[in-house]
Amino acid sequence: MNVLQAGLAGALGGSLFALMALGLSLTWGFLKVINLAHFGLILLGSYLTFELATSTPLGPLNTLLVTIPVLCVLGAAIHLAYERFEVSELSSLLVSYGLLIILVQVVHNIWSADFRRMDASVNPYATRSISLGDLSFPLPTLLAAGFGLVLVVLVGTIINRTYAGRALRAFGQDREIASAFGIDHRLIGVVLAGVAGATAAIAGMLFALRGTITPDAAFEWVGLVFAIVILGGIGNVAGTFYAGLLVGAVSGVVASFWTPSHSPLVVFSMVVLALVFRPEGLFPRRAGRH
Amino acid sequence: MLGVTDLDVFYGDAQALWDVSMNVDEGEVVAIVGSNGAGKSTFVNAVMGINRARRGSIIFEGVELTNLAGHRTCRQGIAIVPEGRRLFPFLSVQENLDLGAFNREARRHHHESLAWVHELFPRLSERRDQLAGTLSGGEQQMVAIGRALMARPRLLLMDEPSLGLAPVIVDEVFERIERVRAEGVSVVLVEQNVKRALDISARAYVLAEGRIVQQGSAAELAASPEVVAALLGV
Ligand SMILES: Nc1ncnc2c1ncn2[C@@H]1O[C@H](COP(=O)(O)OP(=O)(O)OP(=O)(O)O)[C@@H](O)[C@H]1O
Ligand SMILES: [Mg+2]
Repeated sequence: MNVLQAGLAGALGGSLFALMALGLSLTWGFLKVINLAHFGLILLGSYLTFELATSTPLGPLNTLLVTIPVLCVLGAAIHLAYERFEVSELSSLLVSYGLLIILVQVVHNIWSADFRRMDASVNPYATRSISLGDLSFPLPTLLAAGFGLVLVVLVGTIINRTYAGRALRAFGQDREIASAFGIDHRLIGVVLAGVAGATAAIAGMLFALRGTITPDAAFEWVGLVFAIVILGGIGNVAGTFYAGLLVGAVSGVVASFWTPSHSPLVVFSMVVLALVFRPEGLFPRRAGRH
Repeated sequence: MLGVTDLDVFYGDAQALWDVSMNVDEGEVVAIVGSNGAGKSTFVNAVMGINRARRGSIIFEGVELTNLAGHRTCRQGIAIVPEGRRLFPFLSVQENLDLGAFNREARRHHHESLAWVHELFPRLSERRDQLAGTLSGGEQQMVAIGRALMARPRLLLMDEPSLGLAPVIVDEVFERIERVRAEGVSVVLVEQNVKRALDISARAYVLAEGRIVQQGSAAELAASPEVVAALLGV
C-alpha cells in the first residue's frame, strides 16, 4: 500500500468521524453544551439501523426514514432537559456523560454486548469497493464521505447564507442580546439539537454499514471525535469536515507506515499543538462565521 | 406609555432593585442616573426582558411585559442599546442591522428603517461589510443605536451610550438621540454623564443602591445639590 492510498483511504474513513463530530460541534458551538450523549444517539442509530435492516425489508439506507425522526426527537428532548435544569457548559460534560452511560447500557440490555453485524444479504455495501485506477475504496467509506460532504455543504450553507443561519450565529455570539431582538432561544435550541440528532442517525447508519457494532463502540469514538471538533474549531461546520479528513489521513498513514497503535499518539499531539498555536482550530472562520 | 410599579429584581439570591416605580410618557426622554452599581443596567434590562422581575409590574402600552417571554418584548415596540454596545462581533455591520429588524413587524419595514439609519449614520453605509468587532468604539456605538432603531421601537432604552467615546463622538450621539426623539420615539437614557443627560431629558430619576431616591423634572434635578450627593452614593 502506498502513502497516497493509505492517506486517501484514511481521509475517507475520517469523514465518518467528521459526521459524528458535526452534531457535537454544532451544539457545543451554538448552544454551549458539550453533549456526550450524542455518542449514545449515534450508537442507538447504529443498532436501530441493524435492527430495522434485519427485521424489515427496508434496506440499510432507507432505515434513515425511521432513525432520523426518532433521533431528531430524542436529541431535541435531551436538549430540553438540559434547558429545564439550566445545565451549564462545564456541568453538561458531566451530566451528558451520565446520559451516555445510560444510553450505552440501554443498548447493551436490548442487544447484548455481542458483536452485531448486518447479514451480507441485507447489507451488500460492506464487502463492495470501488476502484479508481490502482486505488480501491470500500463502498461504506465512500458513502460516508458522500453523506458528509452533502451534509456539511447543506448545514454550512444554511448557517452562513440564510437569515435563519444569521440569527443562529448572532445567538452563538450573544444570546441575551439576540433574545432582546426577538430571537427565540428555545426554538433555536430545539431545532439545532434536532439537527444534531439527525446527523447522529446518519452517522450511526454509516457506522453499521461498515461491519460489526458493539455497545462499547460509543466510548471508542469519543477521543477521535473530540480531536476533530477541536481541530476543526468548535461550531465551525466546514472546519469539522476538513479536520475529519485530516485526522483520518494522518491516522491512515501512521497506521500503515508505523503502527496503528501510534495513530492516537500522533493525532493527539496534533490536538495539543493546535490548542497551543491555533486555539480557534486549524481552519479559521471566514468573515461572519459563527 | 411605560409604567413600572414596585419592581424587585434579583440575581440569584442577591437583590439588585427594590420597589422601583417610574413612568415614561409618549415622546419623552427620561434620564436614569446613579453611581456605579446602583442598578441602572439591571433596570433597563428588566424592562427589555433580559432580566426577570421577581415582583412588581412593567406595563407598556397596556401590555404586561413581565408575563412575556424575553424574546417577545421587542415585538411590543421596545428596543435596547445595551451597555458596552454588545454588537454581534463576527457579523458585518449590515448583518447586525438586519438582525435588529428580526421581529416580524420590523422586518416588513426593513427598507425604510435602513434608509433612516443610514441617514442618521452615513458612516454605516460605508462600513456595511466590515465585521462589527473591528469597528472603532464610536462606530460600534452607531451600529448599536442603528440596530436598535431597525427594530422600529416606540420606546428606546439606551444604557450609557456615551461610555468610552471621544467628546466629539459624544456630541454626535447626543445630537442623534434628540433627532430620534423628534421622530416621536420615547427614550430612557441611562447615563454617567449626568449633565449631558439632564440637558436633553424632560425628567429624571436618581437610582442609588437599587432604589429610586430622587425624581423630578430635569431642570429641578440639575439645580438640586442632593442629586450630586445621591450620585456620590450617600
Ligand atoms: N449578572 C449579575 N449577577 C450578579 N449580580 C449582578 C449582575 N449584574 C449586576 N449585578 C449586581 O447588581 C447591582 C446593580 O448592577 P448594575 O449593573 O445594574 O449597576 P449600574 O447602575 O448599571 O452600574 P454601572 O454604572 O457600573 O453600569 C450591582 O451590585 C451588581 O454587582
Ligand atoms: Mg450599567
